Amino acid sequence: MASLLHLLLQPEKPRDIALMLCELITNNTHNNNIALYKCYNADKVFYRKAAFSRWGNKVIENEKKGYDWFYKDSEPSINTRLKKKYFYELDIPHFKGKKFSIESVISGNEETIGRIIDFYKCQWSTKDVFAIHGDLALCNFIIDKENIKLVDWEHFHYSDKEFFGYDIINMLFILIGHESKRTFRLNKRNMDFLKKCYIQLIEGAGNNNKILEKPFQNAKDYLLRFKDRFLTNVYKKFVLAGSPPSVLEHFDSIVTD
Amino acid sequence: MLVPQNNYANLSSAAGLGLISFDENYIVVDYGCMFFDSIVYASRLCKKVVGIIPSSERLNTLQKRLVEEGIKNYDLVDADYKEQHFEEVFDCVIINCFLEQLLIRAKHGKSIFSDNKTRSKKNGNNPEKITIGFLKTVYKGLRPGGTLYLSYANKLRIRTLLLFIKLAIESLFIPISSKKAPSFISLLNVIYLFSYCLLSQKGLEKLLKANGFIDIEKYAVFPEHKCPLKIIPLSRLDECSYEPVQHLYGGGSLRRISAGVKRRVDRIIFNKLKLFGLSPSFIITARKAS
Repeated sequence: MASLLHLLLQPEKPRDIALMLCELITNNTHNNNIALYKCYNADKVFYRKAAFSRWGNKVIENEKKGYDWFYKDSEPSINTRLKKKYFYELDIPHFKGKKFSIESVISGNEETIGRIIDFYKCQWSTKDVFAIHGDLALCNFIIDKENIKLVDWEHFHYSDKEFFGYDIINMLFILIGHESKRTFRLNKRNMDFLKKCYIQLIEGAGNNNKILEKPFQNAKDYLLRFKDRFLTNVYKKFVLAGSPPSVLEHFDSIVTD
Repeated sequence: MLVPQNNYANLSSAAGLGLISFDENYIVVDYGCMFFDSIVYASRLCKKVVGIIPSSERLNTLQKRLVEEGIKNYDLVDADYKEQHFEEVFDCVIINCFLEQLLIRAKHGKSIFSDNKTRSKKNGNNPEKITIGFLKTVYKGLRPGGTLYLSYANKLRIRTLLLFIKLAIESLFIPISSKKAPSFISLLNVIYLFSYCLLSQKGLEKLLKANGFIDIEKYAVFPEHKCPLKIIPLSRLDECSYEPVQHLYGGGSLRRISAGVKRRVDRIIFNKLKLFGLSPSFIITARKAS
């Protein structure tokens, strides 16, 4: 009894510091105050986003909301874990599948882009509450034959269903930029493909849609009007924010004519 | 325009410490306090941080920063690293660039913690003895199972390269001269100093093992350990991908051209040839055997 009491009264011995093997993938991209690590814990691999300021905490907490919104009711269930220390950490599972470069272009990815538009129409129309991913780009998808996984929900926010299509138009504009090497001049094949994408997307839109009449111009308007919702400096992060109206009008006419 | 990030102290330069999972009960010691962000970051996540700081001027600057940040769980100590006078047993030891400082100052016959010349060169400039002495102090202060975090620049690469360039330029202007000899001796001296134990991963690993550390992991750090953008565990090179990373500071076309050249060279060195021994900086983590 005495020894038990002695044991209980003793201060708890600190646990050994877990020396998990980690790779720092990115740090403070677009001044987000967040580092992304790939962690190897025994045979388990996962990703960890760690904040390095209170602003980073805010962004990570928002990202968690995005994951919860998107993977709610998903099968199999996707568990992300938010640890609220002084600086927040979000553990994200490692998804298996094909990953895409940050510089991905249209040519050669047409089938995948078509699949993503179908996926968007299906996923975004079945949710109770509409939301915007905010940075839907090919590099944020992990795709295999059966599944499409979407990561990087830092700019997630709830929105009105009238803005259905914003994410896809933003993705197409990023692809246009990479395909044309920032000249915004595309060949006929690419332009025909863009039109096809637009037709595919508009089939899922409601009558009161506020994006798809002039998709690129309206998407930019949305981005600038609601820039505070994106939790970043949209002018530095999104090429759409700084694009001249003439370029956007040009692409609007290509897809809507 | 929304730029809320400016309202918060961003400690992203301490991303290397993310390799260690700090616990709120830990007591941490930072030898040298070379990077202020690291000590601020650790103090936010741990119970207490002790900073052993090499100069009173730096101590005052750091203290000012800690007060500004509203941090109270710290002790700053102006003491010789050899003195084991702390009451605490530490859960983690942080050594950012401090080994280099130790050796460089010892080489010039200076005390580690003041600018006065106090040590005799005969006893003080043996890098092996200095490093072992320091590691023994670190080991004594750590609790069993505690963690060592050590970061350093790959100065062997930079210094040797600079000296080779200097010698090459000199040889253009001085065909045969006795002036060359001291430079060559200096070069050999630098290579000896930095490759013997410090800044040679294998040598340092050997020293750590010999001094009771286990679970030693080595990491290549890019573009520099002061503000890492990419850290690759050397034991997992097959699973990691390397893409050149650089800090973007704007600048003119010349800067852009040199950055482009550096990217291409880095791709060849690290992506194709996998010569991670030439990485700009390294981090080593280890644990004291339980």
